[in-house]
Amino acid sequence: MAELQGLGTQLSEAEKAGVEIVAVSPDPNEQSQKFAEGLRLAYRFLADRDLAVTRRYGLVHARGGADGQDVPRPATIVLDRDGVVRWISVSRNFQVRPDPGDVLRAVRGL
Amino acid sequence: MTSSGRLAALSVVVAIGAVAAYVFLLRVAVVRNHPEGYVVAFALATALAALAVVRARGRRWPGWLVLAFSSLLLAGGAWFNFVAARVPDTPTALRVGERPPDFTLPDAAGRPVTLGDYRGKKPVVLVFYRGHW
Repeated sequence: MAELQGLGTQLSEAEKAGVEIVAVSPDPNEQSQKFAEGLRLAYRFLADRDLAVTRRYGLVHARGGADGQDVPRPATIVLDRDGVVRWISVSRNFQVRPDPGDVLRAVRGL
Repeated sequence: MTSSGRLAALSVVVAIGAVAAYVFLLRVAVVRNHPEGYVVAFALATALAALAVVRARGRRWPGWLVLAFSSLLLAGGAWFNFVAARVPDTPTALRVGERPPDFTLPDAAGRPVTLGDYRGKKPVVLVFYRGHW
């Protein structure tokens, strides 16, 4: 969530309209969506309850959860207008997420 | 206050300050992305507490108490950052220059959203996330 907040605060109004931020998590996301709307951020929070999509992307951290359950491996992916991957960041320490400045540079470079 | 007492108090301030700074500044990328910072702060707090014990004249238990507190934080913080928070570097299905697998997932209102629908319209920042970070 902190990563998403940071990203939102650095996006200009024009950029908010020009880029879609799609956040995928197995967590119940009603709270996240309310929170994003409170900050007037155009985020889409998608629920991947059984991690099926996360698994297909190869982004499951097996038994990485507090109770030994599978959890997502934090990752940020920039897709261009044609849906092609242009920039990837995958965390090797779950506390560490990409700097919003780097993500936005990747978006602005498209 | 004796010099030992001042060192013990400073140790507590450094330890608790590091926790507070990390929690409240999590949104700031430079703080979030350098979690070893709180481990260094806990090590400093432990060193200050050890010095407080050595310098104590008379009552030594406050120094020992602060030393126990800071070394617990140091052990716990180091374990969390260097062991628990590690994510194995397994291969992903993502390659720069390729399209990722398409998917449809429900949004917060239960409406289905398909990644491929943005094609030809907008760039997408796709974020897989967990927890507070």
